[in-house]
Amino acid sequence: MELYKRYVDVVLMQKKTGRIVPLYLFWEDGRKYKIDKVISAERRASPVGGCGIRYACMIQGERRNLYLEKDKWFIESYQP
Amino acid sequence: MKERVIFHIDINHCYAQIEEMKYPQLREVPMAVGGHEEKRHGIILAKNDLAKKAGVLTGESLREAKEACPDLLIIPPQYEDYTYYTGLVKDIYREYSSQVESFGLDEAWVDFTGSRHLFGDPLQTAEEIRNRVYREIGLTVSVGVSWNKIFAKFGSDLKDPSGIAVITKDNYRDKVWPAPVRDLLYVGPATERKLKSRGIYTIGDLAGYPVQHLKKAMGVAGEVISVFANGGDCSEVTENGYASPIKSVGNSMTMVHDVDNAEDLRPVYYVLCEAIASRLKDAGMEGDVISVSVRSSGLEWFMKQRKLPRRTNVSEEILHAVMELLETSYSFDTPLRAVGASVSGLRPAGSFRQLSLLEDEEKHEKARRIDYAMDQIRGQYGFYAVRRACTVIDRPLTEFNPKDDHTIHPIGYFQGRKMSDGTL
Repeated sequence: MELYKRYVDVVLMQKKTGRIVPLYLFWEDGRKYKIDKVISAERRASPVGGCGIRYACMIQGERRNLYLEKDKWFIESYQP
Repeated sequence: MKERVIFHIDINHCYAQIEEMKYPQLREVPMAVGGHEEKRHGIILAKNDLAKKAGVLTGESLREAKEACPDLLIIPPQYEDYTYYTGLVKDIYREYSSQVESFGLDEAWVDFTGSRHLFGDPLQTAEEIRNRVYREIGLTVSVGVSWNKIFAKFGSDLKDPSGIAVITKDNYRDKVWPAPVRDLLYVGPATERKLKSRGIYTIGDLAGYPVQHLKKAMGVAGEVISVFANGGDCSEVTENGYASPIKSVGNSMTMVHDVDNAEDLRPVYYVLCEAIASRLKDAGMEGDVISVSVRSSGLEWFMKQRKLPRRTNVSEEILHAVMELLETSYSFDTPLRAVGASVSGLRPAGSFRQLSLLEDEEKHEKARRIDYAMDQIRGQYGFYAVRRACTVIDRPLTEFNPKDDHTIHPIGYFQGRKMSDGTL
């Protein structure tokens, strides 16, 4: 299935250790998705273009890759 | 002495590849990164594989490239991005050695000698670095591995399909020597011509040629390239990745149209020298070595330098030296496309100045005050708020702000070490 690069708004928590944990992301239509779990966070290039810190997240039982690219966040989305 | 292990790592067609990494769909079309077309800053800086297949050449004008490949997509360079992403790549190199020497944005030497006992086999490590850069940044790199910097660079230029080329003391005669002498770092067109006139066509020819003859004909430069060809380069990989004290301040510029005489060039150099003088003053420095570098429309390049009797950071004085150098050293047979100047031999600007009997001190003071006033006005009202009258004659030619517009300077291999022949 084709992937698309979609920039999203994100709510983050900055831990006292300095680590950043994404908590929620917002779709353009305003829908809010809770990030249930961050499985891993590593520097990776994305097949949809760009590179950054890839947060592999569980959202509603599905795995999605969320990237911090410089100072913006994007998701590899199945929806164009 | 323990044999050194040096990598030279080169990001393949760097600017074009970074654009492809950002926008993968660009891989499907012939694409090149080149200067602003409307401002005619126009040459091809990098191209992708499809553009290469269509016959687009790096360094040719945008118009020539469009003739070779009418569908060519030209993207203006995003230097901020290139600096950022190549910085990430070099951060990966720095995990393997503290000695990482940048050579321009896309290339670097990494001295792996001291890290060998930590990471093991150099070849495996080179492969690991390649894989990591691809996985983490999405870029492919070519690696040359050798015991000296020159052959390591030669190795990465081979663009071996595996991405790694190893030049050892056992194989360099087979791998390096048959190559044309031009493939050796620092043999440019002028040196190549001199060598060919002596029947030296390959690096092997150069290596076998009596060094004393070369030295006689070409000065220290001849001796140096002979050593390079024999694998005798023992220069160190310097750590220049992090902030190092500035050694020179320079600016360069590709012009909106080619210029074939010194008079038309003066306003361009005025703008460049004002920027250099202003940056020197910002850094609290002054210098006494003035260098001029120019590239002709045929993309030939040369550099000349001279030493001033006294250090300066005044634009008028820098300009004077630059124009004098240029007029005595370039005949304008071929029009110029890009010009640059720099000031080195830097020292902190002193509050005391030895007065000269031979120079006009009043003139110096006046020029210094003009610089100061212009900097003040520009600081408050913007760069174009004040300019010299001569720069208004051909506005498109001088409408640029070298101080604040992003400029990227390739870092010289010799790092300020002096060569007797500036044309090397």
